[in-house]
Amino acid sequence: MILILEAAFGFIALVGAISAALIRDSYGKLISLGVLVAGILPFIVDRGYIDVAITVALIAPIATIFVLMVARREEA
Amino acid sequence: MNAIFALGLAILVIGVLSVAFVRPKTYVARLINLEIPAWGLLLIMLTYDEALAILTFVAVTAIGTFVIVRLLSWRDASC
Repeated sequence: MILILEAAFGFIALVGAISAALIRDSYGKLISLGVLVAGILPFIVDRGYIDVAITVALIAPIATIFVLMVARREEA
Repeated sequence: MNAIFALGLAILVIGVLSVAFVRPKTYVARLINLEIPAWGLLLIMLTYDEALAILTFVAVTAIGTFVIVRLLSWRDASC
């Protein structure tokens, strides 16, 4: 991968991980988890694993929906 | 050291520390933090070129999250 792109996506992934660890709100945690996945997905595509990229792109929002079922209940 | 491997190790360490010392001590926050080291481990597995292992790991992580969510809702209903 181009070096500046690699640095940018690595920075996005690190920022997503740190903010998901530090934010106290449940919905904020889920949003920063999405940022983390967005930073990781270009590395999978760069290695040439398109099937893995498809699986991750399908399953990551489903896991978010699963967690959202509990988060809404805790909020109410 | 490979850049992807180093990034995966960093995310893994951040995720493990955030699961161990979770700030609002609730089950939901710990469950969401548990997803961070899974992505770090995925990056480490990506370094070793095992596509089938990554596919299985991603699927089983989602299924495990669903099982824990059902367990949490049952526990809330029983209390």
